[in-house]
Amino acid sequence: MLLKTSGLTKQFGELTAVDGVDLELKEGESMSIIGPNGAGKSTTVNLITGLLNPTDGTVEYRGEEITGKEPHEIVQKGLSKSFQTASIFPDLTVERNAVVASLGAEHGSFSLNFFKRLAGYDEVAGRARQTLEDMGLYEQRDIKAKSLPYGDKRRLEMALALAGDPDLLFLDEPTAGMSPDETDDTVDLIQRIKEERGVTIVLIEHDMEIIFRVSDRIAVLNRGAKIADGTPDEIRGDPGVQEAYLGGVEI
Amino acid sequence: MSVAGSIFGFAIQTLAVSSIYILVAIGLSITLGTLKFVNFAHAAMYLVGVYVGLAIALKLQFSGDIASRIGLESFGFDLGFLAALAIVPIVTFGLGLLMERFVARPFYDRPDTDQILVTFGILLIVQELIRAFVGGRSITFSRPDWAEGAISLGPLGTYASWRLTIIGITAVLVLSVYLYIEYTDVGLAVRAGTEDAEMVNLLGIRATRPFLVIFGVGSGLAGAAGVVGGPVFSVIPEIGVGVLVPAFLVVVVGGVGSIVGSVVGGLLIGAVEVGLQLTAPTWSSVGIYIRAALVLLVRPAGLMGVVEVDK
Amino acid sequence: MSEQTETATSPENTDTAGLLGRWDELRERESFSILGAIVFVIGFPMVFTNLPLFNGYMSLVELIYVWSIFAIGFDLLLGYTGLLSFGHAVFWGGSAYAAGLFSANFYGEPLLMVLVATVTASVLALVIGLLSLRRGGIYFAILTLAFGQMMYFLALGPLGGITGGEDGFTGVAVEPLLGALSLEREFAGILGTLLHDISYVLFAGFFVLTVAVAVRIVRSPYGAIFQAIAENEQRVRFLGLNVWRYKLTAFVLSGAFAGVAGGLHTIHAQYVAVGSLYWITSGDIVIITVLGGIGSIFGPVAGSIAFLYVENIISGEIAFWLLVLGSLFVSVVWLFPAGIWGIVTGIRSTVRERLLGDDS
Repeated sequence: MLLKTSGLTKQFGELTAVDGVDLELKEGESMSIIGPNGAGKSTTVNLITGLLNPTDGTVEYRGEEITGKEPHEIVQKGLSKSFQTASIFPDLTVERNAVVASLGAEHGSFSLNFFKRLAGYDEVAGRARQTLEDMGLYEQRDIKAKSLPYGDKRRLEMALALAGDPDLLFLDEPTAGMSPDETDDTVDLIQRIKEERGVTIVLIEHDMEIIFRVSDRIAVLNRGAKIADGTPDEIRGDPGVQEAYLGGVEI
Repeated sequence: MSVAGSIFGFAIQTLAVSSIYILVAIGLSITLGTLKFVNFAHAAMYLVGVYVGLAIALKLQFSGDIASRIGLESFGFDLGFLAALAIVPIVTFGLGLLMERFVARPFYDRPDTDQILVTFGILLIVQELIRAFVGGRSITFSRPDWAEGAISLGPLGTYASWRLTIIGITAVLVLSVYLYIEYTDVGLAVRAGTEDAEMVNLLGIRATRPFLVIFGVGSGLAGAAGVVGGPVFSVIPEIGVGVLVPAFLVVVVGGVGSIVGSVVGGLLIGAVEVGLQLTAPTWSSVGIYIRAALVLLVRPAGLMGVVEVDK
Repeated sequence: MSEQTETATSPENTDTAGLLGRWDELRERESFSILGAIVFVIGFPMVFTNLPLFNGYMSLVELIYVWSIFAIGFDLLLGYTGLLSFGHAVFWGGSAYAAGLFSANFYGEPLLMVLVATVTASVLALVIGLLSLRRGGIYFAILTLAFGQMMYFLALGPLGGITGGEDGFTGVAVEPLLGALSLEREFAGILGTLLHDISYVLFAGFFVLTVAVAVRIVRSPYGAIFQAIAENEQRVRFLGLNVWRYKLTAFVLSGAFAGVAGGLHTIHAQYVAVGSLYWITSGDIVIITVLGGIGSIFGPVAGSIAFLYVENIISGEIAFWLLVLGSLFVSVVWLFPAGIWGIVTGIRSTVRERLLGDDS
């Protein structure tokens, strides 16, 4: 069991954003979390990745409890997250972006090495180079990240998320605002990550086509609670899910 | 004096000291809460209040460097304290509108540090302009004649009528602003903004009237604080920051974005300051900082905080 | 907060381009910055004190070095990591008092004084950092301001017996350097022209050392991590890095630099003013650093020169010098974020382009 949440709950005052969500994820089994807006999908992911502290419930990663740990600790264990917007370091060069990611991967969460030359760390440079080459961004390594075209920014963002060779990757609406071509490319990319790097993906998405192409399992949230959990076919036929999406939209 | 008397005496003193801090803090608080804008230049409004108030109420002697270069010696309307109290807030209200339009707006989307830096710079400029014209020496802002002397409140003791005046004026102003925010449309936008600034931002309401008004009202209050505080605190160019820091402390202690919080915070800070002045005077200034630090560390959102201004 | 990356290009064709390319490569090396600093400490006083345009004097040069050290450290925090502290006077003044008290009660050997000052400032920075860094942005600025004022009032009031209160601390007793070399001892001949006296060597030496340390820090992983934190803190967290610890380290490092500067200042002035803890001093270092240009090593130096020059020399002519500086400061924040040094490097880039540009 790679990831497991039990009774995960988050309350903001009187509002229950996440209500007793139980999820189980095996290694290699990719999952999508879907649901109408405000269903608590992002909040659930934020609870798992340590950005928020749950009011109740637990999160386990490979059997180890990670509830309420800091994001950087959780990332060091093998989780990673790719953000909805291209969350990169705009004023740094593409290479420096990758270097920072590699530092996190190679040196752990903190190191008192402010007297050592960065240039002397071959393994960091090597990993940075590898990360960029995997995404086809090595050519642009000397450009400032903010000068990249938007599509490349997103790929850089993905590259950063993958720099640490994570086992579990959260993708928060990766195709939001993309053209059909860009969406196809992204889906191919996700497939590649799954197959070539063996990363387990957790996807938050609205585009059903992508979800069905990429996911082995789907969890459906509504008003903070999980209302369905199963294979794409099972979910497709589930009447409760159809109702949740505002009166039986055909999926 | 009876026990009730001493307690009451302590209360009056606290209220008097707190009043000025509260008047300054409210503007800071709602600007920070609704517009997410850090405004060090708010203290400049206080400075304007003090010096312009002095010019209107009495007369201002110019002994600064630039003034002597251009031969400016003195200036004043000699209209009395109440006139100053009426006019100055209007002046600073207007200045507040100008500030919102020309300083705040270009900086809304810039990082916090830039906002702090630019408003700090503006405060510095105002402070130095005052020094260059009026001079750096301490001036006396005398209380109005009708506020001299003491008023007897029977068994509760006799108190300087000036103190009671300050409290009275502050209470009226704070209450008016509070009612305005609670019961008008503009006030609704302020409250909505305070609670969900992002939503209001998305709705594109930012650049319109309610937000201009917020800046204006807050600045007006700070100006009034200057007129009221002139006779109480020293009149030197540095007094702006001298008042700004406690005001910020009041804001963070009482909670950002909450008028009630500013009042509560102001009272607490005032109480600590007065209390220490009576018991361990050398510690009175240190005390308020220790107190603020404690609150900030224990309850970062402030006592009645509505807004998380941090991430 | 811009990164000063300039890639080393070595095109085969034009001579100028090739030369500039080699120059770029040379500049990338750490030793270049250190060498530059050494050249600076030798050349600057000659220009500054001798050119009638400047009307400078040696004591002011030493003061400039002291403030530069303070500013370089402050820039690590503001320019690189993006944290604005409004209470750095705590470290400057606190370490100054520590050095003064140490010299009065134990032994006033300059290097020991600086050591005591640095340790004091670092410990203070650790404590205040632990308390202030839990919150970001605005709260951090206000908290640091509050702690600064707290220390000021402590020194003025309750601790006045030790600090001398309003009058400041006058018991500073500076001994010869290393126990043997009196600070007033001047050099003869060419050594005298270049290095003046032992006192100058002390200040210039620490200046060069500071530049060397700062350059090393910036070229370590910390440089990249600090900048990343300033640009996108959230992302850094999700790359597995403990942002809070790095911020704390930045804070302590900047405090340490301030400590060195504070200790040196006590040696220089033989006196510690209570104003060294006042918010105005905290504001001064903000102005100096921003004016000079954040995000670089030499920007803060430029800022110190500009500020101290105006404060000490121009102020004789114009009493409203701070008004002028304040206006310059606002312009920089608003329009020229790269500061004085940014303008200098901007001119340099334009000159380069002219040299390289065949088609302009």
